[in-house]
Amino acid sequence: MKGRWNLLAGGLVTTIVLAAALLSVVWTPYSPTRIDILHKLAGPSAAHWLGTDPFGRDVLSMIMAGARNSLLVAVIAVALGASCGIPLGALAAARGGWLDGLVMRGTDLAFAFPALLTAVMITALAGPGAGNAMIAIGIFNIPVFARLTRGAALPVWKREFILAARAAGRGDVAITLDHVLPNIAAVLLVQATIQFALGIIADAGLSYLGLGTQPPAPSLGKMLNDAQTYIYKAPLLAVFPGLAIVLAVLGLNLLGDGLRDLLDPRLRRAR
Amino acid sequence: MLGFAGRRLIALVLTLFAASLVVFLVLQVLPGDPASLMLGTEAQPDTLAALRHQMGLDVPAPTRFITWIWGLVRGDFGVSYTYSVPVAELIRGRMVVTVPLALMAICISVGVALPVGVLAAARRGRGADVASMGVAQLGVALPNFWLGILLILLFAVYLRWVPAGGFPGWDAGAWPALRALLLPALSLGLPQAAILSRITRSSVLETLGEDFVRTARAKGLSRRAALWRHAVPNALVPVVTIIGLQFSFLLAGTVIVENVFALPGLGRLMFQAIAQRDLIVVQDLVVLLAGSVIVVNFVVDIAYGVLDPRLSRGGAQS
Amino acid sequence: MLNVQGLSVTIGAAPILSGVTFALARGETLGLVGESGSGKSMTALAVMGLLPERARAGGRVMFGETELLTADEAALCALRGRRIGMVFQEPMTALNPLSSIGRQIAEPLRLHLRLSRGEAGARVRHLLDRVGLPAPRFQPGLYPHQLSGGQRQRVMLAIALACGPDLLIADEPTTALDVTIQAQILGLIGDITAERGMGLLLITHDLGVVSRSVRRVMVMYAGRVVEQGATAEVFAARRHPYTRGLFAASPHGRPPGPGARLQAIAGQVPEAGHLPQGCAFAPRCPRVQPDCLPAPPPLVDGVACLHPFEAP
Repeated sequence: MKGRWNLLAGGLVTTIVLAAALLSVVWTPYSPTRIDILHKLAGPSAAHWLGTDPFGRDVLSMIMAGARNSLLVAVIAVALGASCGIPLGALAAARGGWLDGLVMRGTDLAFAFPALLTAVMITALAGPGAGNAMIAIGIFNIPVFARLTRGAALPVWKREFILAARAAGRGDVAITLDHVLPNIAAVLLVQATIQFALGIIADAGLSYLGLGTQPPAPSLGKMLNDAQTYIYKAPLLAVFPGLAIVLAVLGLNLLGDGLRDLLDPRLRRAR
Repeated sequence: MLGFAGRRLIALVLTLFAASLVVFLVLQVLPGDPASLMLGTEAQPDTLAALRHQMGLDVPAPTRFITWIWGLVRGDFGVSYTYSVPVAELIRGRMVVTVPLALMAICISVGVALPVGVLAAARRGRGADVASMGVAQLGVALPNFWLGILLILLFAVYLRWVPAGGFPGWDAGAWPALRALLLPALSLGLPQAAILSRITRSSVLETLGEDFVRTARAKGLSRRAALWRHAVPNALVPVVTIIGLQFSFLLAGTVIVENVFALPGLGRLMFQAIAQRDLIVVQDLVVLLAGSVIVVNFVVDIAYGVLDPRLSRGGAQS
Repeated sequence: MLNVQGLSVTIGAAPILSGVTFALARGETLGLVGESGSGKSMTALAVMGLLPERARAGGRVMFGETELLTADEAALCALRGRRIGMVFQEPMTALNPLSSIGRQIAEPLRLHLRLSRGEAGARVRHLLDRVGLPAPRFQPGLYPHQLSGGQRQRVMLAIALACGPDLLIADEPTTALDVTIQAQILGLIGDITAERGMGLLLITHDLGVVSRSVRRVMVMYAGRVVEQGATAEVFAARRHPYTRGLFAASPHGRPPGPGARLQAIAGQVPEAGHLPQGCAFAPRCPRVQPDCLPAPPPLVDGVACLHPFEAP
């Protein structure tokens, strides 16, 4: 029952956020980069629903476009992490032995470098930018997916039908693709949802520090950083972009929880 | 016990070594010429040569790595290019902000999460459980730096109880210093508390279904005594691991939150070092932060062994 | 000492137990037999006051002068572990893995008898010796993972016996153990309860265990008592068709011989929410008649069957 509720609320919120972000590709109330000094720092009004920033840019338009950039960074980061991490974890589970040990120690090591530290190193090398943010968050996601895949795949490898497939002479890769991955897909999907949410937070943090998406492209983190300068004059500027982040993350987390509750029996078996 | 700790200690040293190798490879070898990376393309040749010499780039990379590592071990972190002072000195000055901040945040996280998680589990499905887990769900979605901005809005802008940021230094007395760290620690600790309380709750719920809790009840222990004496200690063993993992997020979080509150800590130093392309400082700081994550996880592993006799004491007698 | 009258338990709309009635005095031994799902363990939990939260109990459960079903939690806590001890099925998980066995045995002593650490320590040593875990090999400082299943069950027994209870409830105490260990543990339970003049309520699905350990037996099916009496008589007569079925399905039921083959009872135990209107065993019963179907048969002369086998 509770799972259904989470799924419904999470799905609804996520859909709204995604729709607003996608809509921003073709339409925003104003251009998010249009400067209008005459109407700077205006409060919410019929013309500007969420007001304007110190350059008179429309806050709602900036949030829509910023959310789009944020979601893009997070999606690509998760895709990067999953596409490297899942094969690594699956390989470790299938082969075991020194390979497994190597992957496990490697992920141990990688966990010592949170996304932000990785981003710091990359920025120190290559300068700030959305691409580097994707890579940094993506690298951080690799060990997460590798660990999860390995942990979930190991018990699957011990089940009878796998033994049967092995006895029939099928290779590790074929068994992994045909039997192991379909059995752990649910776990991976739930984790991907959660990592997606974490990615949005990480991207916001990086762009707050000026290490992520670069101006003039709007980003939620940068908006919050700018807003802090005007916190006494226009406190609402510091509220709306943050609310957008919370809404996106909350929606994804609820969706993840709902999916997990829905798939719980399968999750338990896979663990 | 010694065997367990000994094995972990060897793993600790190896991991620390591997981490510093990764940092060195990424920041010193990958870019080709770190000195020209630091100075940019329009650098004067003689400045570049001077920096090369200062960074010891005239010797081969393996030698440089060993010199650097050996320096780290002895507490010699090299000299900052922008500040022209030993990095060790810089770090020492900044640590007195970051370490207390991290400790306060961890205390807030654990202090809030454990009672809330246990009580929510004990009152599963009732008002207190639903309400606290609803708040936790919201808290998990809060980016720490935005929470920091909201706290500034509330306590500095509207209520005017505290300044919006900055750090008076410990010379100004313990109370003003702690007060300056309170809001940053809250914005770091509360989102972690939200995560931790959810984990604590589910861990306690799982343990409450265990047979030994029923045994405790059959002994005549009240529901509450069985919860606190038998279920909670067992539930906390896995939670300790999570607390260790949270430490790495917390350290990373200080980089952002110190910037939100303009605190002169390690995170802000790191941020400034990147802006100024002070590669030596970045390299030292990254290794220091990654190293402390590794050390904390080592300590957690050992604590795990102390908490769980199955790990530290011998196996089944035949 | 223990007097159960018309005990019924429901979870939601599903009846788990109905009309369970028995009495047990000090020094007596009673076995509860049946397949899993027959309500044996639920009966024990009802006596302990440890029913699941959603369960509702009716009838009367008198322990001495105390009505257990209406007693408040504090009164029940004062009885559990003090006057009623209980041993569970799974020794591997029934002990707290983080706590030494000495501490776990001492816990009821300190709780109920308010013994000091030192006094409790001496008692613990004595109890360990009594349950067959002698010094110096078995120290109170050992942890459960350092013991085998049989040894852990001995620890469980020491916990249950620590405060010298009047009644011991043993719920499948040997099911999880090796056959050789089973006999030792049963022997130990029998010796200690006899020497202390305690009552013993032994719950098991194993007829061999029953025949060796208890004087009286109650056969349960789908939450009702279907046959009861002195163990020897019930085993000889096997008047209820279900009892017959149990015997046919049990290697202990009849002497191993050339033609002895085990026969499973056809069909399955009905789920609590889906009991037939009449005799719950009717769908599986080889002797079912039309009059079995309208209502559950009452327990008359120790058997709840309208068409029982004749006593020999």
